[in-house]
Amino acid sequence: MKLLIVDDSSVVRRAIERDLESGGIIEVDQAENGEEALRLYAEKVHEVVTLDITMPKMDGLTCLDRIMEINPAARVLIISALRDRATAIDAIKRGASGFLCKPISPDELRESFQLLIND
Amino acid sequence: MDDADIQVFITGARRYFESIDASLILVVEPPFIKDRAEPFLEYTGIIGVSGRARGAVCFTANSSMLFSILGSLKDERLDEAAKCDLVGEIANTLSGNAREEFGKEFLISIPVVAIGRQTTFHFPSEIRNYVVPLSWRSQTAYLLVCLE
Repeated sequence: MKLLIVDDSSVVRRAIERDLESGGIIEVDQAENGEEALRLYAEKVHEVVTLDITMPKMDGLTCLDRIMEINPAARVLIISALRDRATAIDAIKRGASGFLCKPISPDELRESFQLLIND
Repeated sequence: MDDADIQVFITGARRYFESIDASLILVVEPPFIKDRAEPFLEYTGIIGVSGRARGAVCFTANSSMLFSILGSLKDERLDEAAKCDLVGEIANTLSGNAREEFGKEFLISIPVVAIGRQTTFHFPSEIRNYVVPLSWRSQTAYLLVCLE
């Protein structure tokens, strides 16, 4: 399984990779903004993308729109500090498969990831 | 922004530190008012706020606390880049979580990180600057909330 982790924080990217490393993932790419994520996604069409919202160059919701244009069946898990219902609903309407609010525990992340790949 | 609103950020700080290690207690000391908003420990993550409120939310900490947090996160990096990244991410998390109370019109910027007291960030003047001391593993960091 190919996983793309998108977050402007390398601490968060590394934590997500560590927490998910035993989940049957064979290849992980990381991007620190939406532009870089789109370039990687267009090349490899990862099975799962974890996507932050507040990022430089291109924010996560714009990136989500572009990913859904490339692949309407994309599985995108939003992981954001923006803890409000309206933003979560907006992300789901745009095509996100799930929305997790930071801070997240490793167990919470693994559970959401398993639900996503079993869907 | 008034005294009651500060509780939103304290709740966020408790949530953040509990997520790192639920067995450790974050001690939140009584907030106080500071005349001037500025970074005052070694590393400061600054989030600009616009929309429903205007100003900044900051998390300022010394290396020792940031190393402790990185260790708890099982991140083996101990370099300057990791500390800057972490302090910015904590500020981002605490300010982003405040949308639970203030809604999506509480707009936040990407983090700006200051090392030492020097920063190019322009803090608004003539507002109340709340400082919340946060003690964790015998070390103290501060949450600075400067919002109109």
